[in-house]
Amino acid sequence: MNEGYLWDKSGEPDPEIQELEQILGALRYQPKPLDLTDEVQPRSRHRYLPLISIAATLLIALIAGALWLRVRTRTVPQLNHAGIESPKRQQEIPNIDDKKTNDFLTTATGKPSREPRPKVKEIKHSRTLEASNMTASERQQALEAKEQLMIALRLTSEKLNLAHRKAQGSSPNQIRNQHKVG
Amino acid sequence: MFELEATADMLLPTPQAKASTDTPETRIEVVLVKAVLDGDRDSFGRLYELYAPMVHGILLARIPRSEVDDLVQDIFLHAFRKLHTLRDWAAFGPWIAMIARNRAMDFYRRTKETVEVTEDLRSTDMQTSRANEILELIRALPEAYRETLILRLVEGMTGPEIAARTGLTPASVRVNLHRGMKQLRKKLGYAEGL
Repeated sequence: MNEGYLWDKSGEPDPEIQELEQILGALRYQPKPLDLTDEVQPRSRHRYLPLISIAATLLIALIAGALWLRVRTRTVPQLNHAGIESPKRQQEIPNIDDKKTNDFLTTATGKPSREPRPKVKEIKHSRTLEASNMTASERQQALEAKEQLMIALRLTSEKLNLAHRKAQGSSPNQIRNQHKVG
Repeated sequence: MFELEATADMLLPTPQAKASTDTPETRIEVVLVKAVLDGDRDSFGRLYELYAPMVHGILLARIPRSEVDDLVQDIFLHAFRKLHTLRDWAAFGPWIAMIARNRAMDFYRRTKETVEVTEDLRSTDMQTSRANEILELIRALPEAYRETLILRLVEGMTGPEIAARTGLTPASVRVNLHRGMKQLRKKLGYAEGL
């Protein structure tokens, strides 16, 4: 058997192989046209590359935005919940419920007339002050005015109580004492 | 000396096959596949012309001859639809060869081997009748040998061409041809003696 002829038809032809080629050649592929008219064009993977890259960019931007919002919203409530105020804010806003005011409002029994406000309310209050874009001196004046108004209102309230008790016939000493306190 | 039995593994492309397929023809494949994916249908016609004989030979080694022509068309239409899934454009040949082998297996699954191969022998032409007889002998050979022998003797491809188009190494093709031819000679002698 001629190996060369079997491999690449080179060299001297092998009669047996030639005979087989001749006989089996009857079964050889007969070219037929391929009809592709009804076929849909195959998709090109490169056609989707720009769309995929745009979608990926948008997705990354969305994730980054969501993470940023999450971090931002987490830190603010944590500060409020713990009642932590920045030193700057504490400096700017005087505490209207300080000891002096409470002493002034203390009744004859020695109990404060009102409970001190919780810290959370102070923060809310400070926020409204911040939002009004007032200067430090204006803010100070406003707070003092508010304090005076509150004292005036309390005095008025005490006087009304006194008048009410007088109308009901209570003892004058009692009234005097109450007046002293007021 | 002992001879190794031919197995289906011998039909699998090996890493070395990549180097063997790096021929001008494979570069043409890359250009043609790219052109088809860019919308040029005529380029697929060129791929069809190049590879239809190989697909025909692969099918002829496995299924009845009367079914082969229709299945060749069917395989190429399937390949056209799925061409975008082909990652390595230079591997169009091994890819379509694998589709052809799978389709041949599917054919027998569907028909549950009810198709009589002997129907091919009903031929009035003497030469075709003799050809069908030899074809039956080749089909009785191990899978690796029969496919390579049919591509060589029926489709008229050379060993290097078979290696380049199927993705097999030239060494494997050479061994398959040599051992297959040896076994066929024995069988032909036995057939001639009847």
